Amino acid sequence: MNPSSSALLATQGLYFNFGKRPILHDVNLLVEPGSIYGFLGPNGAGKSTTMRLLLGLLRPAAGSVQLFGHDLARHRVAALGRVGALIENPSLYDHLSGRENVEATRRLRGIAAHRTAEVLALVGLTDNAHRAAKEYSLGMRQRLGLAIALLSDPDLLLLDEPTNGLDPNGIIEMRELLRHLREEHGKTIVVSSHLINEIEKVATHVGVIQQGRLVFQGSLPDLQRLQTGRARLVLETEDADTCRNLLPRLLAGATLVGAGTLWLPWISKEQTAELAAALTSAGQPLYGLRLEQPSLEDTFLHLTEAKAELVR
Amino acid sequence: MNPVLTSALPDFPTLPSAPNPFVQLRRALASDALKLRRTAALRLTLLSGAFPVLLTFLILFFKGHVILKAGGTPWPKFIMMNWQTAGTLLLPLFVVLLTSLVINIETKATAWKHLYAQPVGRGAVFVSKLLVVLALNAVALLLFVALILGAGALLGVLRPKLGFQTYAVPFEALLWMLGRTYIATLGLLAVQYIVSLLWRSFVVPVGVGMGAVVATIALLSWEHADKIPYAAPLATAVSMRMSKAGVLEVSHELLKHEGYSLLWFAGALLVGYVLLYRRNITN
Repeated sequence: MNPSSSALLATQGLYFNFGKRPILHDVNLLVEPGSIYGFLGPNGAGKSTTMRLLLGLLRPAAGSVQLFGHDLARHRVAALGRVGALIENPSLYDHLSGRENVEATRRLRGIAAHRTAEVLALVGLTDNAHRAAKEYSLGMRQRLGLAIALLSDPDLLLLDEPTNGLDPNGIIEMRELLRHLREEHGKTIVVSSHLINEIEKVATHVGVIQQGRLVFQGSLPDLQRLQTGRARLVLETEDADTCRNLLPRLLAGATLVGAGTLWLPWISKEQTAELAAALTSAGQPLYGLRLEQPSLEDTFLHLTEAKAELVR
Repeated sequence: MNPVLTSALPDFPTLPSAPNPFVQLRRALASDALKLRRTAALRLTLLSGAFPVLLTFLILFFKGHVILKAGGTPWPKFIMMNWQTAGTLLLPLFVVLLTSLVINIETKATAWKHLYAQPVGRGAVFVSKLLVVLALNAVALLLFVALILGAGALLGVLRPKLGFQTYAVPFEALLWMLGRTYIATLGLLAVQYIVSLLWRSFVVPVGVGMGAVVATIALLSWEHADKIPYAAPLATAVSMRMSKAGVLEVSHELLKHEGYSLLWFAGALLVGYVLLYRRNITN
């Protein structure tokens, strides 16, 4: 079976240029139904551009977007009827109250009137719904934007940096809400972020974009597996450079990170023991020798620093 | 199960069909009408007609016995004074401001990206906002006429010697002027609408509009001045004549410049829509 036919959202060979500047290069996203897809990348990597392409706000230079198995270019209005989106900062009319802001989109989409109160309650804004949106805090604005995205009870939610400007509590609340939406309501959620820590606790799948190319795509366990080959030994001694000269074979792959600190790729327990013995017999002091497992964040940074070929 | 949200089913072979264009337009209009609440565009519409009428009212209140010929009907002169005060500069500037303000509601809220990500076509968004501007423009003109009638009646009470209470209002001439003036504003309204949508800023369309109005005044003696959409409201205002017998003479058919205004309206909207339709939404 064609893998994209079971996907809720898929892109094929998506390219986008801004004038002559290439922004996206052959992006093939695959989002399965019922997943929370963390779309990760540093600022300027092309996350927002991709999100806009998924909504038909931008026209791709090449490639296509499939929503619910249908070509977006041909069925845009129908497909968007099942999508809720929050792109960058929420689009709020400051002269209207929170409730009127929800109403404006509710009328535009022709949704039943009772939904307004329901989504306001869902994001905890019922008590502040009568206040003008200009009086809202950043966190409240973000929640109001989310309420508007949830109005149509969409099957697919596209959230672009939804935790932007939220305090730690707000980030936790947002995470809880996303998890709730997926687990209790079976929603599929694509959420972009430049911080992996925000995503790793909630995402089931991850896509990492770097300089307009998708450098990793897979489940969260896949990403975790990727990092196991990257454990390193941290060696602390008096004079790292001297050690390297004394033990050229053992320390060939080491990198100097401080006057007395060396990093080298971890290979085995035996390697660790041999290194300790060799250093001592060479008369060098051994202040510390420890194994470091890179965090998911290190893996993410590594992915976004490295060139695309690394993970291909 | 929580009634607020339903569970999404993993099967999605069929999409619900898109609502037909008229349903989309109706929804967009309902939404746009709501967004007008408490906006400067709405206040401008409701108040714009008051300024020229108040000015004319005060002139006649203090100097009416000098300006108006004794013994004749004061209405034609009063209506002409009002129309020429409003039509020369104020009306084009009003249309420029109104169009920019209505479009700025979305721009200020950075809502274009939101609007175009909703299940309504770009055509519905385009037509809906155009209808809002057209309706507000009509409301402003109707209020202007209502205020003229009200101010005249008030002068009849406060300055009975001027004779406003004794003579009949030339309603037919007034209605023709109303209709033709509205048509005369359509050309520049469409041009400003497209400029506002293309630049999505407040400053650019207001700057373009004001520049065009000022340039038009300088170009009035040009033989092709009747083809400039910004000149049309003025040309309509000054087309009004008063006969020796004191009767208001108003053309009962469209003048040439009003025809050009309609052409500008159709042309600008067509070209503008084509330019806007395929555009990328980057802000």
